[in-house]
Amino acid sequence: MEHHTHQLNFWQKYFFSTDHKTIGAQYTIVGLMMAAIGGFLAYVFRYNLAFPGENIPLYGSLSAQQYNSFITCHGMIMVFWVAMPILLAGFGNFLIPTMIGTDDMAFPVLNMMSFWIFLLSAIVLVASFFVPGGAFGGGWTMYPPLSANGYLNTEPDFLTAFFSGSSLMLVAVALEFIAMLMGGINFLVTTINKRAKGLTPFKMPLVIWFINLASVIFMFSVGPLVAGAVMLLFDITLGTGFYDPARGGDPILFQHLFWFFGHPEVYVLLLPSLGVLAEIIPVFARKPLFAYRTIIYLALFSAVISVVVWAHHQFIAGIDPRMATFFSIGTIIISIPFAGIFLSFMATLWGGSIRLAVPMMWALGFIALFLIGGLTGLFLGSNAFDIYAHDTYFVVAHFHYTLFPDIFFGFFAAFYYWFPKFTGKNLNETLGKVHFWLTFVFFNCTFFLLFFNGLGGQHRRINDYSAFSNVMQEPYILFEKISTISAILLILTQFIFLYNFFSSLAKGKKADKNLWSANTLEWIADSPPPHGNFKEFPVVYRGPYDYSLPGIEEDFIPQNVPVSEKEKLNRV
Amino acid sequence: METTIVSPNENQKIASNGVMGMLFLLVTEIMFFAGLISAYIVNRAGNMLWPPYNQPRLPVEVTAINTVILMCSALVFYFFFKKFNSKKNALSLLSLSILLDATFLCVQGSEWIKLIHYGLTTSSSLYGAFFYTIIGIHGLHVLVGLFILLYLFFTLKNNTVSFENAKNKIIVSGMYLYFVVAIWPVLYFLVYLF
Repeated sequence: MEHHTHQLNFWQKYFFSTDHKTIGAQYTIVGLMMAAIGGFLAYVFRYNLAFPGENIPLYGSLSAQQYNSFITCHGMIMVFWVAMPILLAGFGNFLIPTMIGTDDMAFPVLNMMSFWIFLLSAIVLVASFFVPGGAFGGGWTMYPPLSANGYLNTEPDFLTAFFSGSSLMLVAVALEFIAMLMGGINFLVTTINKRAKGLTPFKMPLVIWFINLASVIFMFSVGPLVAGAVMLLFDITLGTGFYDPARGGDPILFQHLFWFFGHPEVYVLLLPSLGVLAEIIPVFARKPLFAYRTIIYLALFSAVISVVVWAHHQFIAGIDPRMATFFSIGTIIISIPFAGIFLSFMATLWGGSIRLAVPMMWALGFIALFLIGGLTGLFLGSNAFDIYAHDTYFVVAHFHYTLFPDIFFGFFAAFYYWFPKFTGKNLNETLGKVHFWLTFVFFNCTFFLLFFNGLGGQHRRINDYSAFSNVMQEPYILFEKISTISAILLILTQFIFLYNFFSSLAKGKKADKNLWSANTLEWIADSPPPHGNFKEFPVVYRGPYDYSLPGIEEDFIPQNVPVSEKEKLNRV
Repeated sequence: METTIVSPNENQKIASNGVMGMLFLLVTEIMFFAGLISAYIVNRAGNMLWPPYNQPRLPVEVTAINTVILMCSALVFYFFFKKFNSKKNALSLLSLSILLDATFLCVQGSEWIKLIHYGLTTSSSLYGAFFYTIIGIHGLHVLVGLFILLYLFFTLKNNTVSFENAKNKIIVSGMYLYFVVAIWPVLYFLVYLF
């Protein structure tokens, strides 16, 4: 083994670091900052919906144009600048090298560059708020012709068109994809080439499987969207008319290219969080994960199906009804693998000795909330129902019941679980529980009532319902108000998390090396793991979920412990 | 602060990091071109008049010759790789490959200038829009390939890397070059002939 030492200064250590843990932290912190912006936007437009026309505290009055920009950017930011960096890049960077027992990524410099390109993309997006005309306001799906014409393109020259909200958003999204593509390539190559000795694919923790699978889905589906985005950018800046029906173009084409990526993206976001659940649930139930291989096969199956469900977003766009039926069936089929995965999690809990520590509470909260999101998804997948519910608050409530648990419950579960490992400090348990319960309650108060508003006919893109007395009557007015007040409380609750984060970082108790008694390789490393993670690279002898095996004194056996003769006898 | 870096445990390679990374990049690239091509075919099939009456025709013959030039570039690169393997100095073959690559780009560029003079622009028709987008994006890929080959040339010329490392760099660059060359006949057929 080759050893060498080198000096790192402050900038190299915290800014231009090639260490995967620093890059993971950078991604996560920028993701959380963007979440703060996205949350603030949500606060402003929710306030406007409940109290139309009133002055919004901390903001002022909101015009209809700004309302459109805000809902658009809220969606964009939460999906591409919060979920992607935190769930894919953040988890991937922290977990992949430590859980497969290696020192760093396969391409550390590429990894650093991917973060800086990502940061640039975030800056471009935020800058788009300040160009003339404001940030793009045509919905996060950017459908042409609205996006292709923009708001100010009367007779634009190239530069005015380029520095408009819509084209800056496209540029930001393109940069973000380049960053995530570099990250995804890094994850896959690292996982394939740098696993610890003995760590065969079917001995890998599920979260590693799922992050890599998410990267594969991302890389497979992102190309057509980039093609569509390039064409849209040319429509805006060069006057090409790809999506302009008056010139022979086809606006529906963009919807196909967008959703060919847009729907698999949902699974790109979901899989890493499900992986985190698969790590946390066995540890806190003290039982082996139920049906480990079946979960992998189900996830592979869902990855295949995920690329043939996209047109269920276009049921009212005028697509062929026979095609709509095909995509309806595909959409309903894809719920089967995820139902299977959640069933395995339930079966893991069954008969376990469950410890309700903070990470476990977030994991269980995830399952409870995602159930509602998943079941309403089945309604929407059927095209007959979707024609009524399309673009109503029913859809809004549905995808918040899937994405909010996925992004935030998934992140917080992982955060409370791995924070002691990667910082060496314990978090405050009581504050963690308060944070969980308040988030859980206020989240439900914010979104559950919106299902009824949607079924009552409220459309999601209208900023002021005062003019529509048929859908703006009791109880919907009351529901709007409850939802908005809960949303504000939900945002305020997150300050508990921030306080816990900073106070624990500053003066938290020193964390044990393996405080949850878990099996996976990251718990063998010191807390926090030094540059290079391991003093000696671990050798793996067993799968990650050997909890409470019969005839063994300890109820957990780390992956680097050889299988004993006695155990072999017990296993047969 | 002092830190220790322990060498990575790359003990179970199917392919080198570079080859595998390039492979994943190319999968994404293929899907990117698939998106462009399907957009083109959808629009092409929906338009009866293709190309429109008032639009110039594309230079089919010159581009056919140009196609051969681009193919030769990849072929020469293949011979370069073979020769390099037997540890002979093969840089002249590499520079020939670079030259052919650059020729392709120059011919494309001069044809573009002619077409713009004839009145085919990005905004003159959907026909022009697709031509410049698809062929332009391919041209951009060839340009990137040219830079990769130049980087390779100067790395080998300065002799800064080991034989194994150099061989790996050649394979990775070659994968990219072959991809760019292999996708071209498909685009040529679809855009110029179809």
